[in-house]
Amino acid sequence: MTPAHDDLKHDAAAYALGVLEPVERAAFEAHLAECAECTDDVRQLRMAAAALPHLVPQVSPPPSLRAHILGEVRGVESSDSAATGMKPVAQQRGLPAWLQIAALLVIGVGLFLYAQRMQARVSNLEARLAQAQAQVAIADRQTAEARTVALRAQSAMGVFAALDVARIDLAGQPVAQMARARALWSRQRGMVFTVSNLPPLPPGRVYQVWVVTAQAPVSAGLLTPDAQGGGSVYFETPVDILPPTAVAVTLEPAGGVPAPTGAMYLVGKPSPL
Amino acid sequence: MVIWLFAAVVGFPGRSSESQLEDQRTLERIAAGDSGGLAALYDRHGRSVYSLALRILGDEGDAEEVAQDVFAQAWRRAGQYDVSRGTVAAWLLVMARTRAIDRFRARRVRPEGRVHEDDGLTLQQLPATNPDVASEMMAAERGQRVRRALEELPLLQRAAIELAYFEGLSQREIAERLEQPLGTVKTRMRLGLLKLRDALAEVRP
Repeated sequence: MTPAHDDLKHDAAAYALGVLEPVERAAFEAHLAECAECTDDVRQLRMAAAALPHLVPQVSPPPSLRAHILGEVRGVESSDSAATGMKPVAQQRGLPAWLQIAALLVIGVGLFLYAQRMQARVSNLEARLAQAQAQVAIADRQTAEARTVALRAQSAMGVFAALDVARIDLAGQPVAQMARARALWSRQRGMVFTVSNLPPLPPGRVYQVWVVTAQAPVSAGLLTPDAQGGGSVYFETPVDILPPTAVAVTLEPAGGVPAPTGAMYLVGKPSPL
Repeated sequence: MVIWLFAAVVGFPGRSSESQLEDQRTLERIAAGDSGGLAALYDRHGRSVYSLALRILGDEGDAEEVAQDVFAQAWRRAGQYDVSRGTVAAWLLVMARTRAIDRFRARRVRPEGRVHEDDGLTLQQLPATNPDVASEMMAAERGQRVRRALEELPLLQRAAIELAYFEGLSQREIAERLEQPLGTVKTRMRLGLLKLRDALAEVRP
């Protein structure tokens, strides 16, 4: 355990994600060469990092992209062969007419035989296609579900990246003095709200998060805390909402209410950034 | 034929070491100048390359351009692919990530007017040292469990990982963005990745 190890071991994750700054990276790589512990650590962390690109929602590119990519390369290919003086076969013109007719005949007979063989396989293929289509339908549904979850999560991430993000810290009120919460608000990207230490819910009740504006409180969603009293809510900002003057949490009947009626558990005002 | 079609449509080709071998053979064809090889490579990986670029850039036109760059690069550099650095899929995805993040940064307004190269070069190559794990991610059910593990990470851990991976931000930049001390960012990034690794280990057969 050298002092270098204690300083540098915390950089392993950033190294595995490929985001160490050049100086840090050089120092870390020099340390890696002599530290088995960090080397093993990096191996483990990279395993996780390598999985990340496979977790993004899979979206099919437009069909034109394939043609574009291949077209570009084929363009290069033919100009290459032109440059080396090799004429592609297709450019040699002037085959004798009888040869063209003979070639067409051969192709015709070939196609006929081919079509007959194909016909025999069609019914077999149709059955398998029906089966495949059923599986595609299932997979499509799964993909759609996964995409919904991922899109929601991505929107929440967008709040962090927003340039106009404002922070609102909420303090627990007398009924829930231990409770703490924070909201990150962005007009463009929405609001992310996280809370901890909320008391367990009485039966038939739910916590409701409110964005208080100069006009009226707007519900930002319902919240059922986990065993530790924690939870989070992502709220998509309506276009016409006024800037929040406060964010609050109240206890309401299950299912929520259009305007707050119950006791206030947490409240906080935006702090200037 | 139907099976191939099915795999292509559903987009979950079972990435076994067998398909890695097939990818390697395809790169050999490409290196020999066979454009049919590039078509095959695109058919197997175009979707995941495009999807990653789209996730990073959030713009379809930009994502298409990145995918074009990646496959043009694969066409030119197929001969330089080094199997010891990871699977062909990982090779393509690393190119996609690097290019997409470069483009993302170039697009950003830089308040301090710094030169692009300054931060453009910090993104190091990320070899996939465990091809099997990455490849098995594609199996739908397992992929979903790991995806869930990512979603269930505490917000800070997840934010630190995603800002690093998808935006290429350094630890310092992440700390500023999330208004957290640098030390906290480092530990959260690590904890989050370790949890993902555990989820990966669980789903391995």
